[in-house]
Amino acid sequence: MTPMPSGATARWAWTRVGTGAGGVAIAERDALGTTTRLAAWPPQDLGRILGAVDAELTRLDLEASRFREDSEISAIHRGGGGAHPVSAGLAEAIGVALAAARWTACLVDPTVGAALCSLGYDRDFAEIDAGQDKALPAPAPVPGWRSVRLDGQVAHLPAGVRLDLGATAKGLGADRAVRAAFAAAGSGGVLVSLGGDVAVAGEAPDGGWPLLVADEHRQARQFEPGRAPAQVVRLAGGALATSSVTCRRWRRAGRQFHHIVDPRTGYPAPGPWRTVSVAAASCAEANAASTAAIIAGEQAAAWLTVQGLPSRLVAHDGSALRCCGWPAADWGRLDVPAARLLPAGPGGDGR
Amino acid sequence: MRAMERDFEDAPGYRRLPRPDGPDPDDTTVVWRAGMARDGGVRRARRVSNWTAAALIAGVAATTGYFVHASQSAAPAAGTPAGTAATSPAAHHRACPAAPVATSGGSGVTAAVPASGSCVGGGRASGSVAPAWTGRDD
Repeated sequence: MTPMPSGATARWAWTRVGTGAGGVAIAERDALGTTTRLAAWPPQDLGRILGAVDAELTRLDLEASRFREDSEISAIHRGGGGAHPVSAGLAEAIGVALAAARWTACLVDPTVGAALCSLGYDRDFAEIDAGQDKALPAPAPVPGWRSVRLDGQVAHLPAGVRLDLGATAKGLGADRAVRAAFAAAGSGGVLVSLGGDVAVAGEAPDGGWPLLVADEHRQARQFEPGRAPAQVVRLAGGALATSSVTCRRWRRAGRQFHHIVDPRTGYPAPGPWRTVSVAAASCAEANAASTAAIIAGEQAAAWLTVQGLPSRLVAHDGSALRCCGWPAADWGRLDVPAARLLPAGPGGDGR
Repeated sequence: MRAMERDFEDAPGYRRLPRPDGPDPDDTTVVWRAGMARDGGVRRARRVSNWTAAALIAGVAATTGYFVHASQSAAPAAGTPAGTAATSPAAHHRACPAAPVATSGGSGVTAAVPASGSCVGGGRASGSVAPAWTGRDD
């Protein structure tokens, strides 16, 4: 295991942030460049549950992080074009990313890695050099997901293609972690949030898990200066993911960028939505759909409606548009469709 | 409903898509037939409801008697060790948090790490986990 970086201010150990009030224990820690939160009821055996979540986070990081040299995906990038044997876990992550690309008609594309690097997001976000003045690339389509092939546990990539699984891997990680957490808990209910992408398993608390839906996952109140009004919803099953262009922003050559890249241009999506939240049967689906909606722009609401996914789209002026039964009232219940839109990976459904 | 919020289905020109397994929602013939069926159904429902009410009263009385008997016979015997009760959710009060337990939002960055390397050929090991829950379990 890689040692904890010295001098870091990140919280690598779990911190308890809820005391079990309302019958729910809550703990969180930093991981994968963001915050992981776990909630469980009854508030027992928390150590065992958190250990199970840790194992899944470590596995995902070692498989799919393009920011650590010892990850599988970095080894593939160093190896250049050709066939690369991969672990079952990375095969699942790549398979989900390719399925999401097909499902979203190429709006969510895992081959945006090189475009993100050329815009300056070539390292862990906390390390991005704000003063970069290197020339910007000309807008151009990314290589495209069809240039990548997965045969079982062998990934085929053309030379120069860099994968970024950011639009699906965090959701997949939440799905995996919540399955592991529930298996460790054995009863009751659990919730895992990876940077605001939330998956639940087991029995929800009375009326569902109350969640704040906001621009940014660290927001804790419904009204914060500079933020769009947030809403509390109750999630009884499935998953809820939010994509936003209000966070992970950086400057380069005098321009402001965000991390959601339109594969058609290789540049950040310029659409009308600042934040999109989507509920779905799995967090990987919700994650892919919310990212696709940011890129789809004006056509996002129609696409989400056809998919039957309850969603909330917040425009840059803070006004919100609800689709497919997203509750209007605060503390309204989110009814998530049971049917999966993406194929389950080798990890199976399990919940 | 809060200001500046609206439903996509309320937008001008929006027309609900027909369900693959059901009638066109704008088909007025279907609506008319449904009204005819409803008139006849109300009368039949009134007749049935009187019998249903009587059956419910009798059922509640019988169930109450059963539970009174069952709760007396299920009381623990003296000397049962504490803490041996089942820990299934049914044995607990179901959780009822009064405030949001998490926020679904864009993934802001929280982990500040020392600068080194990049993902282009010179990456570094970062963000590794330290699974150290040192808190006390309840």
